[in-house]
Amino acid sequence: MNLRASTIFATYTAVGLLLLAVIVIDSSSRSATDRQQLEERRALVKSLSLTDLVLFTDARYTRHPSMADRHTPFQDYPLSLEHFPSGSLIPPPPHVRYYGKH
Amino acid sequence: MANIEKQRAILDFTLAALMRRKGKNAALLVVYTLVVAALASVMFLTKSIRSEAAAVLADAPELVVQRMMAGRHELIPVSYIEKIASIRGVKSVRGRLWGYYYDPVFGANYTLLVPQESPPEEGMVAVGQGVARSALAEVDNIMPFRTSQGALFTLTVGRVLPAGTELVSSDLILLSAGDFKTLFGIPDGMATDLVAEVSNLSEIPTIAAKIARLLPDTRPIARDEILRTYDAIFNWRSGILLAILSGALLAFFIFAWDKATGLSAEERREIGILKAIGWDVGDVLMMKLWEGAALSLTAFLTGVILAWLHVFAGGAALFVPVLKGWSVLYPSFHLTPSIDMMQLAVLFFLTVIPYTVATIVPCWRAATAAPDSVMRG
Amino acid sequence: MIVLNQVSKVFNKGRQNEFVSLREISITIPRQQVTVLKGPSGSGKTTLLSIIGGMSRPTSGRVTLDGRETTSLPERFLAALRRETFGFIFQQFNLISGISILENVMLPAVPNGERHAVLKGRALELLAMFGLEARAAARVELLSGGEMQRVAIARALINNPGVIIADEPTAHLDSKLSEELITIMGRLKQEGRTIIMASHDPLVCEAGVVDNLVEIRDGKIRDSAPAQ
Repeated sequence: MNLRASTIFATYTAVGLLLLAVIVIDSSSRSATDRQQLEERRALVKSLSLTDLVLFTDARYTRHPSMADRHTPFQDYPLSLEHFPSGSLIPPPPHVRYYGKH
Repeated sequence: MANIEKQRAILDFTLAALMRRKGKNAALLVVYTLVVAALASVMFLTKSIRSEAAAVLADAPELVVQRMMAGRHELIPVSYIEKIASIRGVKSVRGRLWGYYYDPVFGANYTLLVPQESPPEEGMVAVGQGVARSALAEVDNIMPFRTSQGALFTLTVGRVLPAGTELVSSDLILLSAGDFKTLFGIPDGMATDLVAEVSNLSEIPTIAAKIARLLPDTRPIARDEILRTYDAIFNWRSGILLAILSGALLAFFIFAWDKATGLSAEERREIGILKAIGWDVGDVLMMKLWEGAALSLTAFLTGVILAWLHVFAGGAALFVPVLKGWSVLYPSFHLTPSIDMMQLAVLFFLTVIPYTVATIVPCWRAATAAPDSVMRG
Repeated sequence: MIVLNQVSKVFNKGRQNEFVSLREISITIPRQQVTVLKGPSGSGKTTLLSIIGGMSRPTSGRVTLDGRETTSLPERFLAALRRETFGFIFQQFNLISGISILENVMLPAVPNGERHAVLKGRALELLAMFGLEARAAARVELLSGGEMQRVAIARALINNPGVIIADEPTAHLDSKLSEELITIMGRLKQEGRTIIMASHDPLVCEAGVVDNLVEIRDGKIRDSAPAQ
């Protein structure tokens, strides 16, 4: 009875909104270490002529999705259905999906 | 001031009324929060990977030329370089040597690559952090490989690539061209693909078209296509994500439906009582608004913050098994927080509006009816 | 004064189960007195009370409160009137279950936007007047019939209304509690409030505190006279 329900709610909501504001502001800029590491990665991409991020290493077409063509998921024979879990996470890249382009 | 007091008083009553069904409403809040957290987690992960890709791959090759044979990616003759170099606007062309190697001992896939600039000496390799982890390889260790002929081929680890570059280098093994060709049995005069530099970036589509015409068995891939690949990553078209999204939408629908399918006799009676003792239509509807908004707003705030902690402080721990899939070698990277405000706004509206509306609308009739029915016992 | 002029109330008008509850009732209820509407169940007492108290509108006829007509007031004003001028005590008590009796007593004042501490203090005072202060945090369901009756009365008084309307207030009470209630009504009358009760309980109708007795039968007034 000492603390009104509306007070508890208002406090919780205020704290929540504050945290939300914090994470939104935080995400708008990188820290110095982050920026330095980003530069390292960019430099490596440039010197090695890399084309993809290392997100998945199970299938060729999820390791290098930008290099994949329509047939890569089918591996070595036409009826080889998609069986890599990561394949259900990444759709074919846009330049493969549009008809007539690739 | 009086209005704030009035709103607080209405809110007090609303919360007290919600507390009457403590278990049910608590369960509803928990589930609602978890649904929001799941959606927000996916949103945060997707956005930060997309942001990262856009930033990191900004210097990816301007044009990559692949050769296709019988619908499959095949080695490309180095002689194609001349033909491409002769196209106006092409600054330089060179062959790239890269491929995959499956290590049966550890069950891991590596990407082997010959660097253009300062390749390792013969017999030496530079490996990414992920390789060092999964093959238990340190500097000066010997890594055994099997050539395409089945012969044993050893290489020594010269250095490990810095941890900060893991996102692009985790599974890489850099080696000399000679070692690459020996290992994979690639004949001289062939390369995996070609990369080209152009003098004017806006000419790329024209040049790509010319290449496709000159060399009909090739397939050019431009840098902006590479970048757009990652813009589309984890979008709704991918199977698992579609499942999560559908589940979440279904959940929101069910919650709203539960509210929208009218009032129970008890609720109607209570509204009648409130009207009878002096609440007007506006007060009753305000109470219902608070009822819907209090729960959905709490679920939204709690869910989003939980999601942020999960993805950026907890390394998306709950998603890792899914993301890992069958990968044995998995990069360890720390994602830079990045938030798509538009998506966050959409999530907010999806979470709060339908539920709140579904709470208010069924009460309309009871709220506007004359309270004399209450008197009738 | 509360004046009803040719007030009729028809339910389900035009349909098969059309039911005329009140037929052209004209009545004047004086202020600061106790008026009892006496009649059997089904006579229209409850409907009449709800029209007097602004909880429903008559099908035809006019109602004026201290010279101001209330029949055609917009809903918001009618609700404000209900809140400020009238205090209702229902036959079934109609308390909100699951919340405390204190919260129940404060409920009619919520739309006023008063400072919480002030409102709470007043509600506790009212409960104290009825000896229920110690049980302020108790849930309504845990109370006895007599206690619930007193909470209902306290709730009716929270906005300090000029008119108290009670529908069959002794229906769920034994003789002792009924006498207590009548005493409370007398006290409220002494405070200058107008009391209007509907009852067919002789204890109420023949109580000394009653100033006017109005007999109602089949939706019409049979007899209206000052009590002896």
